[in-house]
Order: sequence, then C-alpha cells, then structure tokens
Amino acid sequence: MNFAIRYLTEYAYDAPVSDNLNALRVRPATTSTQRCDEFSLRLDPEARVSRHADYFGTEVLEFGIAKPHENMSIDVRARVVTSEPPEPLERGWDQVGMASYREAGGEFLIADEDRLRHSDQVDEMVASVRRNTPIATLRALDSLVVERFDYRTGVTYVGSTVDDLLDGGGGVCQDFAHLTLLVLRRSGIAARYVSGYLWAAPTDGGSDSMEVQTHAWVEALLPGAREPVWVGADPTNDRLAGETHVKIGHGRNYSDVPPIKGVFQGRSSSLLSSRVTMSRLDPAASARP
Amino acid sequence: MLARIAHELFWLGRYVARAEHTARMLDGVFHADLQSSYEDTRDVQLGWFSLLAILGARQKGVTREEALGRLTLDPSEPASLVNCVAQARESARTLRDVISADVWEALNTTHLVLTGPDVQAQMSAGPASVYRYVKERSALFWGLTARTMLRDEAASFLEAGGRIEAADMLLRMLRVALPAGEDNEIRRDGQARALLAAAGGFQAFRRAVPAPPNAVPAVRFLLYERAYPDSVAAAVASAERALEVSDSNPRNSAPVLRLSRLRAELEFRRRDDTDDADLIGLCEQVQRELALVDIDIAGRYFVGATATAATEVGA
Amino acid sequence: MSEPMLARQHAPYGATGFYDEVFEPGGSPRAHAAPLAFELARLGPDHMAAAGLRRDAAFVEQGITFEADEDGHVRDRPFPLDLVPRIIPAVEWTDIKRGLAQRIRALNHFVDDVYHAREIVREGIVPWELIVTRSHFARAAHGIRPPGGVYCHVAGCDLVRDADGSWRVLEDNVRTPSGISYVLENRVAMTRLASTLFRHYRVRPVDHYPQLLLGALRAVAPAAEGEANVVVWTPGPLNSAYFEHAFLARLMGVELVEASDLVVRDDVVYMRTTNGLQRVHAIYRRLDDDFIDPLEFRPDSVLGVPGLVRAYRAGTVVLANAIGTGVADDKAIYHYVPDMIRFYLGEEPILPNVPTYLLSDPDVREDCLARRQELVFKPTGESGGKGVFIGPLTPAAELETLAALVRASPARWIAQEMVKLSTVPTAMEDGTLSPRHVDLRPFAVFGEDIRIVPGGLTRVALTEGSMIVNSSRGGGSKDTWVLEDSGVPGPDDRAEHPAPQPVPPVLPDVRYGGWTGQQQQQQQSPGGD
Repeated sequence: MNFAIRYLTEYAYDAPVSDNLNALRVRPATTSTQRCDEFSLRLDPEARVSRHADYFGTEVLEFGIAKPHENMSIDVRARVVTSEPPEPLERGWDQVGMASYREAGGEFLIADEDRLRHSDQVDEMVASVRRNTPIATLRALDSLVVERFDYRTGVTYVGSTVDDLLDGGGGVCQDFAHLTLLVLRRSGIAARYVSGYLWAAPTDGGSDSMEVQTHAWVEALLPGAREPVWVGADPTNDRLAGETHVKIGHGRNYSDVPPIKGVFQGRSSSLLSSRVTMSRLDPAASARP
Repeated sequence: MLARIAHELFWLGRYVARAEHTARMLDGVFHADLQSSYEDTRDVQLGWFSLLAILGARQKGVTREEALGRLTLDPSEPASLVNCVAQARESARTLRDVISADVWEALNTTHLVLTGPDVQAQMSAGPASVYRYVKERSALFWGLTARTMLRDEAASFLEAGGRIEAADMLLRMLRVALPAGEDNEIRRDGQARALLAAAGGFQAFRRAVPAPPNAVPAVRFLLYERAYPDSVAAAVASAERALEVSDSNPRNSAPVLRLSRLRAELEFRRRDDTDDADLIGLCEQVQRELALVDIDIAGRYFVGATATAATEVGA
Repeated sequence: MSEPMLARQHAPYGATGFYDEVFEPGGSPRAHAAPLAFELARLGPDHMAAAGLRRDAAFVEQGITFEADEDGHVRDRPFPLDLVPRIIPAVEWTDIKRGLAQRIRALNHFVDDVYHAREIVREGIVPWELIVTRSHFARAAHGIRPPGGVYCHVAGCDLVRDADGSWRVLEDNVRTPSGISYVLENRVAMTRLASTLFRHYRVRPVDHYPQLLLGALRAVAPAAEGEANVVVWTPGPLNSAYFEHAFLARLMGVELVEASDLVVRDDVVYMRTTNGLQRVHAIYRRLDDDFIDPLEFRPDSVLGVPGLVRAYRAGTVVLANAIGTGVADDKAIYHYVPDMIRFYLGEEPILPNVPTYLLSDPDVREDCLARRQELVFKPTGESGGKGVFIGPLTPAAELETLAALVRASPARWIAQEMVKLSTVPTAMEDGTLSPRHVDLRPFAVFGEDIRIVPGGLTRVALTEGSMIVNSSRGGGSKDTWVLEDSGVPGPDDRAEHPAPQPVPPVLPDVRYGGWTGQQQQQQQSPGGD
C-alpha cells in the first residue's frame, strides 16, 4: 500500500518560552516490508535540525529554538510504501530455548519486573495464552488483551505502568503494548515495543484515515525457517501487523521511542494539539517519474 | 562572573540597604510621632498610614503599637525589618563562597539576635534600641565589605544593589515627610526635621546648607547634595560608577546610560528653585526611573538567572 | 620502648590474626614505622588526647563537618580525622600505583568497547546480558567517543590489605568518587596539629591534585591551548558532598556552576555570565547520568541541562567522567576486571581482586547462601556501603531476609569472601592507641596519562572490631603518607633551620600629653644652657 502521512503537532504557550529543545522520532523506517520514499520536516519557528540514529537504530531528529516564542509547530510529511509481511510459520517452542535465540533476542527477553503488584495476574495470563506454538500464543494473547481490557482514553497517561492498566481495566494502545510485552517476555519470547502510524480504513469507504496520535504495537521474535524472525502484532486491534502498519522504530518500551520529547525554559503551561492524517494513495499517483 | 551569583549579590545589597533604611524610617516616624501634639490624634494615624502604604504593608485599622510591631518584628509581613534581615541572610548563605567569612558572620549574628528571645523585651522597653542595632550592623556590613572583599565585579554588584535600594528608600522617606495635601507648614517642617535626623544627615545638613532645616531645604538636601554620601544624587552616581566599572561595554549598557541620565537630571534640577509640589512629583518620577533601571539591570546582566525549565514529554 | 602506651590497649598486638601496618605480631614496630611508634610513645596519651580536642575545635570553627545521625538527630559533627597517620613505604606504593594505572586503563578500554564494537562480548568473556542489565548502562552513550578516548577521568579504586599483608582491590569507583577534599584537608590539619610526627619522614605532598585534575581536563578539552573553559558542576548546596565541589572549584580556580547556569545552544554548552554567554569546554560533573539531561535521561530531573547529551555527542564538550562510565562501576562487572586486563592489555593483573561470586548460576548461588554467615553480600548497583550484608556480623534472622532477596533477584547481588582488613593504631579519646581496621581509596586522574595522588583517603572504622569504614556509618579517616623514594627514613634531614625572624619596625614614639609633656621636660632641664 502507498500512504501519504502528515503528522502535525502544534503547541500554544500561555507565556513566551525559550530554549525549546526537542527530539523527534517520527520518520518511517525502511525495513523488509516498508520503504520511506519522501520525508520532510517543517518547523515554525525555523530551526536547524540534526540527525542521528539512537541505540535501537531509530532515526532521531533534534532541534532547539533559543529565542522567546509563544507557539511552535512541527509539521511532518512522508510518503511510504508498505507490503504485507509473510505469514508466520507454525513452529514449536524448541528454537526459543536455544542459545542462538537468546543471542538474537538480547535485551528484549528481559521482563521489567520492578515492583509489579499484579504479578500473579500476569502469570495467570501467561498460563492461559500458552499454546503449542509461539505464534498461536501470540494470537491468543492479542485476543485476550482485547477481551479483558477496554480501549479508553484519559484514564492513563504517558508514565502509566502495567499495574495502572490492570487496576483500571482500560487504557490506550501504549498500555496494551506494555502488557503484551510483559506477558510475552515472561513466556520466554523476546518482544519489542514498536511506535508508528496506523491506517484504519474509514467507515465511509474513503481513503483518509485520521487519528489524534501515533500508534503503538509490538514485535515478537518467533521461530523462523532457519533463524528467528520478528513478527509484528497489534494487541489493540487483535491482529498481526500488516501493510496498514507503518513502523517508525522500536525499543524496550514507550520511553525508548517517544514520538516527540521536549523541554523548554519558562514557567508556562502549554496547549497541545496533534493530528495524524494518513491518506491511501493510488499506486499510479505516487509513482515517481 | 556567573549571572546567578551577580543577581544574588545585587539582591544582598538591596536587602541590607532596605533593612537599614526601614529601621531609619521607623525610627524617624516614631520620633516625629512622639513629638506631635497628643490632641491631634488624626496626625498620628496619618503618619503611620502613609508609612504602611509606602512600605507596601497591609493596612486595615491599625494602632501605632500594632503598626510598629508589625513593621519591625512580624516575620509574616514582607516589609518588616526582621524579614529584610532574614532575606539578606538567606542571600548571604548562598554566597558564602563569594563574600568573606567576616561579612557572613556579621549578617548571621544580626539575624540571630533579631529572631532571638531578647528582642521582644527590647521592643517593649523602647524600639529605638532595636533600630539603632540594625543601623549599626548595616554599617558593619558595608565597612567589612569595603575592607575584606576584593574590588571586583562581585563588589560592584553588591554596591550597585545597595545604592539603588538606598536611593529608593530615601525617596519613600521623603514622600512620608512631605505627604501630598499636608497644608500645615509647622507640622511638615517638624516631620522633615525628624526624618533628616533619622537619615543621619542632620549634622551634614548644618554644614552644607545655610538655611534652617525646614521641609523644602531638607528635602532638597537629601535629593541633590552630591557631597552627602546618602543623598539620592550621590547614591545614583555611586550606582552608576559601580556598574560602569564592571560592565564590559558601558557605553552600550542600558542601565549605565539610564543612571547616567538620571544623575545629570538631578544635577540640572538642583539649579532650579522648585517648589514643594514639584518636589513630590520629582520624587515619584525618580522612583519610577529607578524601577526601570532595575529592569534594565536584570535584562543586561542576569538573563536566564531566574528562568526555570519545565519538562514536557509529548505523545 | 612504648610499654606504657601498649600496655593500656585492649588486646595485645599480634593476637588478632589481622595484619597490623605498624606493629609486627611480636609487638615490635616494622622498620618503616619505627620512628612513628617512637614519637607517639614519646608524646604520650595526654598529648594525643589534647591534640584531639584541638582538632575538634579547629574543624568545627572552620566548618569541616559532616552531618551525622545520632539517635535520630542530625547533627554537625567535626570530621573524624585520626591523628595517627598511615604510612606506606615507597616501594609498596610503586606496586600499588602500577596496579591501579593498569586497572584503570583496562576499565577505560572496557567502557569504550561496551559502547562501540563490544569485542569483549564477541570473545565470550563478558555476557552481553550482564552488561545491558546494569543500571548504569547508558544507551544514550552508544556510539559516542569522547575526546582523547578517555572516559574515566577521575577514578578511585578502593584497596584493602589482607591478613597476609597483600593488597587487593575491593571495589572500583569510576562514577563520582568523592573524598579527595578530605585527603587535602587532612594533610593540612596534620601539619598543624601533629607537626612533630613529620620530623623523621619525607612525606610526598598531595596538594597538587587540583592541578592534576585541571590539567587533565584542559588536555582533553576541545579548545585551543590555554583557552579551555573548565567548570565544576554541582547539584547544589543541599548535596551532601557540596563542600567538596566548592573546595575543588576554588582550588582549581574555576567556576562552580549549577544547572541553571548552563544552557545548550546549537550543540554547544554555555554558561550565563554578566557578560552574556560564555562557552564551556569541559565539565567536571558530580551528578549521576540519570540526572544530567531531562531530554535523554530522567525527564523529571530539574538538576539537569537540556541538550547536554546533544552537545556531548557533537564533541563540543568534555564531561568528566564520561556518560555511561558507570557500567564499569558495577560490582558484578568487577568480577571480570582481571579478565579485562588480560584481554585489552595482554598483561597479568598486578593487583588481584577479592574472590567474588556472581549469583545468577543456581549452584553458585546456593553454595554462597549456604555460607552466608561467612560471606559478604552486596547489591550490584549501589555504592557507599549501602545495602551490604556482612555475614559474620549479621544476625541470622536478617540473613534469612537476605536469602529471600537474593533468590528473588539473583542478578542484583554478588557475594564476596570476607577480607580480614588490616589495622593501624588509632588514637582513642584518652589518647591511647588501639588497632582499628582500615581501607584505602587512592585517587587517579586520567588525562593525557594516568596520574595518581600519593596515598589517598585511608578510611578507618572507629568502632572496635568493626570493618565498616564509611563515614556515614561511623567511620573516620587518617592522613596517608607515602614516603619519598629514599625508602628508609633518614636522619632528621629536615632539621629545622631557624627562619630569620623578621624584626617588626619600631613604632614611632607616641607622646602622651602633647604640649604639657614638653613643658615638663623643659622645666626639668637645668636652668640655663
């Protein structure tokens, strides 16, 4: 599929702020199933942008606005081409126990255990989604999450934990992803948090999908033909990731790949408005001469 | 030097000067008040009221004792003497690596005494002793800084803060001495004399001015006399000099230029025989100009010294 | 010889099974310590007790105190400097110095490797999972190489002496090692309070540390010769080590800054001065990585400077110590340092480790837990003696709790053999001497090369029998003397030449009475001349 993505974020400060430093993780990655053909970033006020790849390989764009200002806008545009990932193989658990799997999975195997109150509840989930194959387990987990938890905005926030989700019974895609990661890791499956854009087919049959923010899902390291492969899964939507999922980058959890992270100088509160628009393009229209 | 440190030094100077001049003002009004006729209770109210208003203190219906107590020892009253000293001590504490040990100990001791157990008794016996104590300790502070601090930027900012505050406080004192609408000349002259004594300039006036210490000559003296170190004109000139010496480009410095213009204005006006009504207006004008100098100083030397960072993690 | 002093001690030397650095098991002093023992005996307990009181008074007056929790009250107590110095002969120091330099070089290689090629992991020597789970492994440091390739600008590896007198490394400190200000202050205090003890020794000076540090920072700073602006960055006066931050800044002659004084513009760090922004090239920072930049680390840190990591990545500023150096500080990584020395330097370690066990392996774990009454258990991510369980000194019930903690998160603990720390005679309140356990924290500076201040901080456990030397838990310190290369102390070759006394100018005659006095004189002269 071909998409034109626009991610517009606007800040309004109630008093002028200065030295506004920001780090963006917004550019669609280039992977085996995805290609970013065009990308542009427009800032107002204007600023010089520097790029580097972070520890996990995600591209980070950084800039700073030194002089006092009362508004800031970050306008990201991109064109992406995605393809449907191959169907995951039905393989057993043997590969998962091997040293080569542990090496490939690395730190994504480590379950973050700090002070988890609902540990027993999580263990129960681990037991109930266990199937004969890791891929079936993954699918079962996707369904379980959607079954047991409601998609609800406003009850959790950027710093919420898995405990918060289990307490409240509701949350957003970020919370579902964190829970899914914990269950997968406790099951011995390496898993990473993915930040990106999701195109949800609009009900009116049109080609524009509008969301308020970026989307979060997971990638699990599953046994492959010869070596383990990373397979995307979207617990919020109870399905595996497909060509409608445009990946930006991954990490251990949300705080490794926040789309926008910023700090400014000034005692001011800010009003944030952000909008992600994805338009499905006719392949002919987006073909470059 | 670091903007934050310069800012702290500037305010240390201001707080010490504020403490000293508050003590002088309270002393002056207290004595003028004592000497006014007892039948004229309205006068008593007026003097204290204007003092409270000029110091920016809370008013409501207030007796003399209450006003005295509140302005001297009430820690919750931002304009009180004990509060000024406490603020000065707090500043000095963060500057202990910059000011000398002698200076720190002098301030610390002053604070301890004013917040100690004996001071209430002293107030009841006679507040004059408390005011004298603060005046003396302030003199000690400036004497020690003049002798034990290196004559560099740090000393300049300290000096500038102290002089600007002295000028400002003196202008407030003058506005108490010449309340607008006070018609009774005798009363006004009496108050002016008392305030001249409180400011410590009585002897100096006698030597400088061949006229009796009535309201107009006294006010003109305290405003214009460059040879008297604590006059407004002298304070403005000292502040200008202090900043000029420590600024890397004084010809382009807004605060230095503004002070320079103010100094020239005062020198010019001195030649005029302005009458009382204009004197009050002039005092207010100079005070406003000093407030602008304060803003200029912050803008030129202390940029960023008080900004705080807010953290935001966007989603 | 020193009978009266020794007789009043709690236990005769030699019976304890520990290595005493002054007295041999028989009670006679070691060769290098003989003049000291003699002098102490000559002075006697009364003199030592009086000197102790003078010391307390002087420290309180100067404000050299620390906050101690006594029965729930936090009080300012004078810093407990014991007036009996600890002497290290030159030849011993040479070995220690070489061993430390070797170790620090290896640690520096390790840090560079961890954030770049990870060769030590590829060779299978250190497991990647261990490195990546260390709390001070900084992903933000990945791929960045600081100027000069130096990460551990300031290092303090704690050393102990075992019962056979051999030196071992107890722990590595490459994050924010502190204590150098006490080393400097102790020396000054000793020269004032116990000057006679110096008479028979040539002690190497220590006061050049600030110059060493400044020189090292200037050497690696990205600035032209002589133009580097170096600053000391402190979290502020509320930090318990603030005294040391201010002290070092003063002695180095550089600014002491707090976060609000610094700002990053266009990847360059500046400090706010009355003259506008001035560029900063090198920052000696006394904050943990977690707090230095809210954009990369903890977003709630008000102690940090936004964009600092960005400037660091751009190579426009040196941070001492570099970001991510704490990965080498970890107690579990300590276990591999001898292997690091072999891998990176191709040498055998000069200073051995204390035998240490990683507890992730279940067999090793159960063995250690079975011996929990004999071993020392330490949490890997902590420092300063926090959370340490010393088996022989801990009640059984607490050890049960420990076992549960260890089994719950074994990766967070290590076990170490108990070292029988050496002792040095220490003055009691009444002036008599009694052996107390000590360790040593030398301070190394890595700039163009590695320089180590002679001696370092000797920490002494003031409670009899205790081996806990941290000042926050009842420890004190001693001045550490490394002797000059001539080794055996010569005769009193710094005999005091009496300095020529400057003669104060005679004050002009003050005439009292003025005119009257003259008149009287005239009247007394015989009439007529």
